[in-house]
Amino acid sequence: MIKVSVNGEVKELEENLNVDQMIEALEYKVKGFAVAVNTTFVPIAKYDKTIIKEGDTIDILAPVQGG
Amino acid sequence: MTKHIEGNNTWQIGGKTLSSRLLIGSALYPSPANMEDAIRISGAQIVTVSLRRQAAGEGKGNPFWDIIKSLGIEVLPNTAGSHSAKEAITTAQMAREVFGTNWVKLEVIGDQYNLQPDPFETVKAAEVLVKEGFEVFPYTTDDLVVAKRLADVGCKIIMPWGSMIGSGKGLMNPDNLMAIRKQFPELQLVVDAGIGKPSHAAQAMELGYDGVLLNSAIALAQDPVKMADAFRLAVEAGRLGYEAGVMKEREFASPSTPTVGTPFWHQFN
Repeated sequence: MIKVSVNGEVKELEENLNVDQMIEALEYKVKGFAVAVNTTFVPIAKYDKTIIKEGDTIDILAPVQGG
Repeated sequence: MTKHIEGNNTWQIGGKTLSSRLLIGSALYPSPANMEDAIRISGAQIVTVSLRRQAAGEGKGNPFWDIIKSLGIEVLPNTAGSHSAKEAITTAQMAREVFGTNWVKLEVIGDQYNLQPDPFETVKAAEVLVKEGFEVFPYTTDDLVVAKRLADVGCKIIMPWGSMIGSGKGLMNPDNLMAIRKQFPELQLVVDAGIGKPSHAAQAMELGYDGVLLNSAIALAQDPVKMADAFRLAVEAGRLGYEAGVMKEREFASPSTPTVGTPFWHQFN
């Protein structure tokens, strides 16, 4: 298992998960979101090749109200 | 029968042709239904939205986003909350994927107290985003040189503040806004932030600004839907006034009623 930060909270994940697998493991269900790993945007096309590592900081953002 | 004169009904911004010059925010309304009604009655064709962290288990849908999509108007994602060019760039890239638009309201805050934009980081981020194909709507101060730098890096739109975000103080420096207008007749200029009353919006339009972006002034009104209608009219009135050509100010009084034929005046001697 590895420890990562997801949206500011510490989470434990299996090793060698890609972003797709991480989303599934986190049971993230909000419709329409984008992912950044260590403050770098990860486009959908790169989910399967981006492996989550120990200590990574992950942001998963979804639409909200804005001014 | 009197016929209303319509101004130049359409304008271009970010590659789109629109009729409304009011850009509206989607935050701070008393309820989602109130937000929807206010946006509809405002006639706005651009609505600002944002991206935030949401917990994994928070339901499957996104009712807010469903309402915005149902409005059928242009979405302008912001980078609110960014304090560096890097954060703003990443947020913009994420927004492009989520919202399916290359438009971005670039907002990099440099001071937590007055939420003043950081001009250095804003220009830095704008340069990168323009190169990446974004249509950048940069939120900036009313500083002419910053506007120039943003234009230099390829921004076609500049959005100087009227005053601090959410302050409702109106246009603190109309002369500065005017200087930017005169310097950049070819750019699309939108006053963003600080608008409190419909008359503030009308004033911005009378200066020759192409549009006005506001949120709190409508959402925090006692009746947001009625205020949205008021702002629709104010923006239209201000634009018409600008197109009609405002009279020149004079230093002295000048009677409007003809002096020839003034009664009770008699020449003696």
